Amino acid sequence: MRRSGGGTDDLGLDRGEAELTEDDSREAERHVFASLRLILLCTTAVVQPSISAGPFFAGVHDPSARIAFAVPALVTLLCAVWVVRRKPLPLPVAAGGAVAVLVASAVAAEALPSHEHFGPADWSYGLVGWHLLLLLLDRVPALLTAQAALLVLNVTHWLLDGTPDRAEVGNAGVVTFSVTSLQLGVVVMSRVLLRSARQAAGIAAERERAATRAALARQWEQDLRAGFAGQLGATLPLLAGLADGVLDPRADETRRRCALAATQLRRLFAENDDVPDPLVHEVAACVHVAERRGVSVSLAVSGAPVPVPTDVRRQLTAPLVEALSAARERARVSLLRTEGEVRVAVVADAGVEMGTATGPVEVESGTYGRHTRMEARWRTS
Amino acid sequence: MADELSAVVVDDHPAVRAGVAYWLSSGTPPIRVVASGEDVRSAWLGEGADADVVILDLHLGGPTPVLGDLRRLVEAGRRVVVYSMRADDDIALQCLELGALCYLTKAEGAEHLVQATRAAAEGRPYTPPSLAGALAGDRSDHRPALSAREVEVLVEWFQSESKEFVAQRLGISLSTVNSHLERIRVKYALIGREAPTKAALVARAIQDGLIGVDDL
Repeated sequence: MRRSGGGTDDLGLDRGEAELTEDDSREAERHVFASLRLILLCTTAVVQPSISAGPFFAGVHDPSARIAFAVPALVTLLCAVWVVRRKPLPLPVAAGGAVAVLVASAVAAEALPSHEHFGPADWSYGLVGWHLLLLLLDRVPALLTAQAALLVLNVTHWLLDGTPDRAEVGNAGVVTFSVTSLQLGVVVMSRVLLRSARQAAGIAAERERAATRAALARQWEQDLRAGFAGQLGATLPLLAGLADGVLDPRADETRRRCALAATQLRRLFAENDDVPDPLVHEVAACVHVAERRGVSVSLAVSGAPVPVPTDVRRQLTAPLVEALSAARERARVSLLRTEGEVRVAVVADAGVEMGTATGPVEVESGTYGRHTRMEARWRTS
Repeated sequence: MADELSAVVVDDHPAVRAGVAYWLSSGTPPIRVVASGEDVRSAWLGEGADADVVILDLHLGGPTPVLGDLRRLVEAGRRVVVYSMRADDDIALQCLELGALCYLTKAEGAEHLVQATRAAAEGRPYTPPSLAGALAGDRSDHRPALSAREVEVLVEWFQSESKEFVAQRLGISLSTVNSHLERIRVKYALIGREAPTKAALVARAIQDGLIGVDDL
């Protein structure tokens, strides 16, 4: 029965919910990664000069080792271009950077004196791990592979130096464990943060949607009330007058107003019915009320149906409602649809004149002897 | 009583046949119903074959209108008033095209039926308000060109059901209203099928000065 109005279907929210949620979670992901990368950038920027620089400058000054020390610093600088703008690192930068720091690590490990791996002079192992984290934070499988490669690379160098003694094994184990667990801890933390952020974003979006829905529903209800109040026309003041005892139900004027209100209401109820020819349906509803009042009405409809918008139907039937509610005994109602016009006319034994109106619907009325004629015309083209 | 008008009523409802016979006989002057029956045979056989006017219901028991019977009656020169339950514009226009002198719906009362029968007996068309509405709302391609005044008369007659009212509204005499309606029907007759009744109708219109020979 309802053609338009409220409800979630009409608001178009439910259909877009899946996409909205996905968008929200992507946004949360971007936010979390951007913040973490900023922290990691600071970490690499601080760790390299403060922790790794000491062992490096104290150690050998092989030219290849210098290059190996410069490469991670350059990679950090390059990453800063995207990270400070809170942008994700492009794949070529991430992949190229990872390969570069791994190669630098290999070169640094090569340049280390024997039995110095995992020792105080090994400046590269811990440092390169942080770089890998910065580069591949949002690509976990690649990160884990790179970390594993780094570990294998260093362990291989360490083993190639000769069979380590128990103290060396213990030392290497402690260093590897502490570095790896700290760095993997960051990965785990990023995942946890990410999940929480996604949930928070989802809840916030859902709240926002619920608020929008509620606001729209309120608006729709208000429009409906305003619309009904507007279309109820004479009904509300009439009912108020009757309830307050200001109007006498036996008075002719009150009865005429009641007849008008009844016709207006009946037409209003017919307006939302789903019928093939709404205009005829509404005209017939008005005629029906007049007939129940004892007026003999002859209704004639001619011409093929044409679509008539709701507001035009209202304007076409409004004078009909007035004329019919004023009719005493007889009325002729006609609806004619010609090639370019829709015409609703009433000839009734009513004493009232409707006056004229211009606009999309022209209303003309006049008195001829005992009869009053009213016609509402709407040009279809 | 030789010049008393006679009619035959073809309708599948006995109450309608009796009612029509009563209405016609109580007019002034009265029209005698010489035969009546539930199918079209009563218009071809016995006294019904010589009746001046055939009052024909379009739906004789079956779901399809008896347009074939209407065509045969018209081709035989019979003057037919179609009297139908259905207020369907297309059927009404189709009946006019086949040569019926009037299409009247059963919602329209005794007055129109008596006038239509009397006009038909003289070979004249009669246009009741519902038929005027059908003609005014006619959007077919082959419809005749009507003057603005003629359209006004059609619409006003459809809207008010009162020729006096139309005359008063348009500031013309009652006979001018009738002339307009008759001329409209002649225009429709000129575009319809050939039939003896139509030829007579057009000839009479020329004779009455409603149309000129040039209009043909």
